[in-house]
Amino acid sequence: MINAEAEERTLAFRAGAAFERYREGESDAMGELVALLTPILWHTVRAQRLDIASAEDVLQTSWMALVKHANAIADPRSVLQWLIVTSRREAWRVSRGEQRMMPQDLGDEDLGSGGQPALEELVVRDATDEVLWRHVAELPERCRQLLRVIAFADRPDYAELARSLGMPMGSIGPTRGRCLAKLRSALATDSQWEM
Amino acid sequence: MSQHAANEQDVPADQPLDAKDGHVLARMALMYDRMDPVPSDLVERLQFALTLDALKAELAELQLMPAEAMARSAGTDAVKTLTFTSDTITTMITIAADGPDRVRIDGWAAPGGGVTVELRQVATKMHTQADADGRFVFDDVPHGMTRFVVRAAGGDDLRQPVITPAVEL
Repeated sequence: MINAEAEERTLAFRAGAAFERYREGESDAMGELVALLTPILWHTVRAQRLDIASAEDVLQTSWMALVKHANAIADPRSVLQWLIVTSRREAWRVSRGEQRMMPQDLGDEDLGSGGQPALEELVVRDATDEVLWRHVAELPERCRQLLRVIAFADRPDYAELARSLGMPMGSIGPTRGRCLAKLRSALATDSQWEM
Repeated sequence: MSQHAANEQDVPADQPLDAKDGHVLARMALMYDRMDPVPSDLVERLQFALTLDALKAELAELQLMPAEAMARSAGTDAVKTLTFTSDTITTMITIAADGPDRVRIDGWAAPGGGVTVELRQVATKMHTQADADGRFVFDDVPHGMTRFVVRAAGGDDLRQPVITPAVEL
């Protein structure tokens, strides 16, 4: 059956399979998991307006938390959602200058910079992205965050990922949802956009 | 958005995702990859950090050499000596060219009689055991970011391993 096959190839499925192997003692599977999920986690965290250095720290903290809590995760197939939720929460914490959740940081007097991190201005580097970026930039921030993460996943995972990102049911998958419908409509009115 | 109302009816939110949605999302992924790429060595650094955490190792420090010594070693062409120190062990390595794109590592750990030394790169892992004086050798090593993990002799699990910072070979 085509659908079942497609599901087995999704990012979430492959991540779950690697994580299961890691938990069964195959330590190299963790490196594989890091390579597989770093892009989607990077965009999850960067969409939260973190600067590059903070985003790197957040990812490291999140992965360390995964290693520490590896056996506490009930269903290994949910590892992608677990990492998305954890890295978003950590990004949120860092962006407010709060203490990290790393145990070695407890008692540290330095509670971070405190202020709002400078938003790294994203600039179009490739002319072929100009039209798309113009319309993506017009979307409400929550939509932009959602679509940026979804773009790095596979369709059968969309609904679960949207939920991990704190979006309401039906935000995306199996239906198009409001955010993508809005973007599609805006692109449809732009004669420079070619499908 | 009111001027787009007519078009929003053309692309309803409650319809199943179609091929054009897939195309827009694929274009978004390409766009974000170009606008805000994952730092090129981030995956490697995360992988290293996780192995460190798993090991709970003692971290050695790279001793910086005086500028004068650096200048002299640069003159001897492609032979470089690095010293790593930690509370329990000092490790010195000499890196020499071994063919066009390989290096040879001559090392000495003190106290290091019989310690096992592991050389770690992203795609390479090598093991060797030091002799009774703490000397060890790795031949035919590729270039790249490298760490060394030194473990006490005889599988003494009570002593934590010592791991060096990553250095470029």
